[in-house]
This record gives sequence, structure tokens and C-alpha cells, in this order.
Amino acid sequence: MSEVDMAVIKPEMMKSYIWLQTADGSIQQVEQEVAMFCPMICHEVIQKGMGSSKNYAISLPQRVNPAMLSLILDYCRFHQVPGRSNKERKSFDEKFIRMDTKRLCELTSAADSLQLKPLVDLTSRALARIIEGKSPEEIREIFHLPDDLTEEEKLEPLKNTTDDPRIRLLNRLYAKKRKELKERQKLKNVEVEEERVDDRSVDDLLSFINGDNGDSKGIKTSKSKKKNRRRKDQQKNTSANEVLKTHNKELNGLNSVCCSAEVGQKSRGGVGATSNLNDVEDDIFTSKNELDDGDIDDEIDPALKEKIDREVEDFARRLNSDWPERMQEILSFGHERKPVHFSLNGNGSLRRYANSEQR
Amino acid sequence: MSSVIKQREPSRLPSKTDAELDRISNLPGHVIDQILSRLPIRDAVRSSVLSRKWRYKWATIPCLVFDNQCFDVSSQDQTFIKNKLVNIIDHVLLLHNGSIHKFKLSHRDLLGVTDIDRWILCISRSSIKEFVLEIWKGQRYKPPSCLFSCQSLIHLELFNCLLKPPLTFRGFKNLKSLDLQHITITQDVFEKLISSCPSLERLTLMNFTGVTHLVIDAPNLQFFDIGGIFEDVSFLNTFHLALVSIGLYVNIDNDENDARDNSSKLLRFFVNLPHIRRLEIQSYFLKYLAMGYVPSRLPNPCVDLNHLSIRIDFDDLDENTAALCLLRSCPNLQELEMLARPEEQASMERSTNFWEDDHWSSLFAHLRMVKVLGISGVKSEMDFIKFLLSNSPVLEQLTVKPVSQEGEWELMKELLRFRRASIYAEIIYLDP
Repeated sequence: MSEVDMAVIKPEMMKSYIWLQTADGSIQQVEQEVAMFCPMICHEVIQKGMGSSKNYAISLPQRVNPAMLSLILDYCRFHQVPGRSNKERKSFDEKFIRMDTKRLCELTSAADSLQLKPLVDLTSRALARIIEGKSPEEIREIFHLPDDLTEEEKLEPLKNTTDDPRIRLLNRLYAKKRKELKERQKLKNVEVEEERVDDRSVDDLLSFINGDNGDSKGIKTSKSKKKNRRRKDQQKNTSANEVLKTHNKELNGLNSVCCSAEVGQKSRGGVGATSNLNDVEDDIFTSKNELDDGDIDDEIDPALKEKIDREVEDFARRLNSDWPERMQEILSFGHERKPVHFSLNGNGSLRRYANSEQR
Repeated sequence: MSSVIKQREPSRLPSKTDAELDRISNLPGHVIDQILSRLPIRDAVRSSVLSRKWRYKWATIPCLVFDNQCFDVSSQDQTFIKNKLVNIIDHVLLLHNGSIHKFKLSHRDLLGVTDIDRWILCISRSSIKEFVLEIWKGQRYKPPSCLFSCQSLIHLELFNCLLKPPLTFRGFKNLKSLDLQHITITQDVFEKLISSCPSLERLTLMNFTGVTHLVIDAPNLQFFDIGGIFEDVSFLNTFHLALVSIGLYVNIDNDENDARDNSSKLLRFFVNLPHIRRLEIQSYFLKYLAMGYVPSRLPNPCVDLNHLSIRIDFDDLDENTAALCLLRSCPNLQELEMLARPEEQASMERSTNFWEDDHWSSLFAHLRMVKVLGISGVKSEMDFIKFLLSNSPVLEQLTVKPVSQEGEWELMKELLRFRRASIYAEIIYLDP
């Protein structure tokens, strides 16, 4: 049928239709006023004269599959009617948006490729509502995101807004582990140390610290670092730099290379090219979570320091065992260690605090 | 416990099906920006932990809002809060990568610190379109001059600020909406500001210091909302002004002004508002309008006016006269709201009925909805309601709400008796 014939027939038809073809090859016809609600289709019809017959069907972008097209057309069919009240439209939108997350994402993509801005707004709002307030783990699960940030990137301190001693100690642990990773990284660069993949659990690490003293350079330096700690209240960064400075000296003046290519990460103090991880840990709200109390360096006398260190390691072991039993143990020790850091916070259970616990 | 920790180690082999199922990470950048922009800044930035791909997606969001939701540590320590907030904003601005179109800073504990200068400088380099700054407490903050060079601004909102643009300030060419509350600004600066923003469509001005004569020269202005203390208001060149809400927050003494100036404030006010659609006369503004000569009706009726709200003292003769003039000058009025002003001293009750039915039957030809609120049942008020009911043939609803329970019954009994011109009229009585 030639286009002229179509033109003659059209006035007799009550409605005019537009032909659309999806990426999978299937062609369908849609009422004109409905299809023209999409800017992209509108453009094709007006500028290029497409869509008037089956042979000249408008090929829709790849992101629009038949299922999504049908949804989008439902949306258009409702909204293109001029007489609807705002309330009606809102109520339709709210019902329309109820679908599983996967379809929601697909719909967003399809609507965007058709330049249907109101629908993109609607779906983005819905996706934002889904994301809001959830922990990273939850979000990863919902959207099937791979958990592929390296350990380094993830070992950011936990937020400790309630000044929970347990979190404080846990953060100390992480700080230790981070330092270790960093050292290993540096050593790798200088090709001094053998390749070591760090997928040890926290336990292994700590038993290493406690038991095996003479083995790796890394552990040694971390231990000696302890001696040079200074107290820091709010100036965590400067002391972190101090630590690194000392560390550098110990490694025979090896300069730490800024390994993470964080764009625009502020490095404080300007000690060589300090690794940003440590500096960032407390204050950078952006990367991950805030650290209120990430004191890794305290200006305390050695005896007390060692006591605290022992407590840190002890505490780490406790992560893997039951809290109440251990509590008994501590209390029974009495004089040796003052369990100042172990005041129970009302809830006796030891919970693993996820990244976004405090809300 | 250990199992949870192990979970934080990266999965060495992301499963194939996972990659297929992940529909969101590959959405176009501008769509992700939209999604992240709708989250509170905390959640948006937190998305950087989700996966490799998400690490820097947040950095291009065009919209940065720092408000009370920013962090949930409430503390009495001012320096602590300040440091924290300053830290957060510094870091976000530094790590942000791309243009910022909307910036809002409104945290209840943030004082007008000089750090804000720095942030404004950063933002002014970024083709900012919407800027909102609210200093909840403390002294008026003076924005730096770089703010006045943001020619891409479309919406500017300032709360508790002192406006002193540099001498080189030539206005905001693209500014459509201006919202200034609790500000200090001089007369000259104000006039210059308004007249040098040719695209201005909305103006909100509340509680200002330093301006006594409001001269509004804005050819595209459509919405005007003002509340404060001033002596005079005049509209020049406001052909399109459709919505006006004015509140004069100080009781003016009419006797003072009689000698000086007998020109009609009412006439002057309406002369440049030919297309006004919605008018709200609040606080003591009706008293201002009643100053000088008040005609029985305006020379050019406000044909577009369909919603009128007036705060009035029914016992004040001048105010009643002004109100009547107005009511006679809007033939297409559909909604009317009369709010009784609670007066400090009870004025003498008049025995004459001001609202005597003078066969103005064509007065309220289109009036459908009326509200009369805050009344106490005095004669003048009841006279008005009676007048209204017998002159509105298409009235659908009259809502009456007294100010207190005193004399409720009498009021209701009287209401019941009034004749109604409209058979569809419902009288809705709301409890005080």
C-alpha cells in the first residue's frame, strides 16, 4: 500500500496510528496521540515523516523492549488526556510505579531513550526512595551490585557517634590492618617483600601480631610505630603524618607513594605523598562514614599504651566469641586490667556495626 | 561475627548472573544524577561504597543540599557542630566534579561563619542556578561580592542576611525568583536590585530592615509577597502582576497623615495592577489603603480579580469604606475571605449599619466561596454577613469561624435567620 493510499484512507478512520518497531523486530501500531506523547517518537514523525505505515515503522532504541514499550504506552495513554486533574495524575503515577526494582530500572532506561522526561522523573524518584536510608549491603542486594571494592578501599572506619568503646576499638583494629596493607603495598613497590595476598581474617592478623614477632618487616614496623604515637584529639591527621614520618625513617627513608588515585583527595600535612586513606579516615564524610573517635594515636605513657594494645587484641578475639562469657573473665582478672573500656552500653550483646548503623 | 567480617572481603569472582541483573549501574549519567540528587546528601555520597562503578557517580550530582539532615549528631557544643559541618561541606565541594546547579545551605546550628564565603566563591565559579542560604541564628550574614556576579542565577533565597552588593553590581540578568527574608538592605540597593533584574517573576520580601518605600519596577513580575514595616508601596511598570500578598506589620495612625497627604493610596495602589488575579491584604495594610481619599469604586474595575482576602476591623469606618470600594470594583470575584482583626481596645460599636443593603444586587454576581473568620459576633460583623448573604445569588459556601466560644450560640442563632439570595448556599460553622 503506498503512502498516498494511506493518506486517502486516513480521514475515514476514527483514529490514526503510528507504527513502531522494537529492537527485537516486532512491529505494532499505536494510537497517534498516545505515541506522540513521547518526544522521540514525535520527532521521528514530524521531522522524518516516519511511522505512517508498517514498512516505515519507527525503530525504537535498543533499550526499549516490548514489555517496557507497553508500560510506557500505558503511561502515555493516561497522561495525554488533557482533562485530568493533578490529583488523578498523581494517584495514577503512584500505582503505576509499583513494580519490582529490576523493571523499574529498565523502565527508567527505556523512558530516557524515548526522552519522556516526566516518566524518567517519576521512576528516578521511585528509585531514590528505594535507595534512601538503606545500608550499602542492602542496596547491593536489591540492585545486584557486585561487591568489588578492594579491601583497602573498604577499610574505612565505622561511625562512632555514641562513642561506643567497642567501635572505637574495632576502628583501632581496622587502622592497624590498614597500616599493614599500606606497608605491604609500599614494600611491593620497592620489590623487597614477597608477594602477599591479604585475605587473612582479622583473627589471623592478630595472632600474628601477638605471636610471631620476628617475621615480616611489616609487622615489625607496625609495632615500632606504636612507640611513636602522639596524642591527637581533633588533629588526627597531623599525628597520622607523624606516624608515617617515623615509619618512613624506619624503612630507610622510603617514601610512601600515594597509591590511591583518589581524585581530589585532600592530603593534609603534606608529608611526602601521604597515603590518603589514613588522613581521610576520620574527617572525610564523603568516602564512607564519619569517624568521631578514631584515635589511633594517643599520647600516653608506654605502660598504659601496652595495656590498651593488649586490650585491643583481646577485644578482637572476642569478636569471634561470646560476649558474656568473656565479660566474666575480664571481671575476674580484676587488677591486671581495668575494664574501663568495656562498659556495656545497656545492651549486653555485641553487635557487629554495619557501615550505616547510626541514623 | 567472623562470618560477617569475611563478608567484607571482596568476592574474587563476581558472578555472571549478577552482572546481568545489575540494571542500575549502567543507566546514563544524567539519570543517575537525577536519582542521586533526590537523595539526602549523606545517602548520595554513601553510594560511593556500593561498588567500583559507583565510586564517583555521586560526584557529578548537580544539586547539593546541606540541611539538618546532614548528620544526626545533635550536640550543644557549637564549635563541634561547626567544625563538623564545615568539614563536610569542604570535602564535598572539593571532591565534587562538575557543575553545581543548586546549592542549599540551611542548618540550624550554622552561624554566619566566614567559611560560607569560601563556599560561595567555589559555587560562583560553577554556573549556579539556584542558591538558598538560611542562617538560622546569629547575626545577619553578609554574602561576599562573588555571589553578585553569578549571572546564571535563576532563584536566590536568603534568610537572615545583609545585602551589600559591590558597586560594580549590574543586577542578575536571569533571575526569575527572589526570596529575601529577615534581611537588611538599604533603600537604594533595594531599588537597584529590583530594577536591574529584568526577568524577575517572583518576589518575596519578609521582615526587612532599611527599606521604607517599596518601589517595585519589574516588568515581568507575576508574584509579589511582602510582609514587613514600610511607609509606602508603589508599583511601576508591573503590567503582569497577578498575585499580590501584602502585609503591613505595624499599626499606622491615620490622624498623623491627614494633614500631609490627601492623595489616595488606594488609587495609587491599583493604578498599575490591571491584571491582578489574587490579592491578599494582610495585617494593617487595609488601614494604609484607607488613607487619603477613598472613592466609592475604582475607575478601572479589576476584571481579573477572582480571589480576595482582607484582614479588616469591622468597626473601623475607614477600613469598611475601603473594603466596600474594593468589593464594588471586582465584578468577577469568586472567592472572598474576610479575616477579623483582633483589636487591642474594643472600639465603640456603631449603631448604624454600614452594610445597609443598597440594592447592590449585581455586586457579587460570581461569588461562590466566602470565609469570614475570627469574628466575635459584634453587630458590625453580623451586618456584613447579612449583607453578603442577601447579595450573592450563586453563593455555594459560607464558612464562619468565631474567635472564641463566647457568644457562640447568639451568633449561630443570628446566622440562621439571615436571608439567603442563593438557594445553594451552605453555611458552614467551624468551631473556634
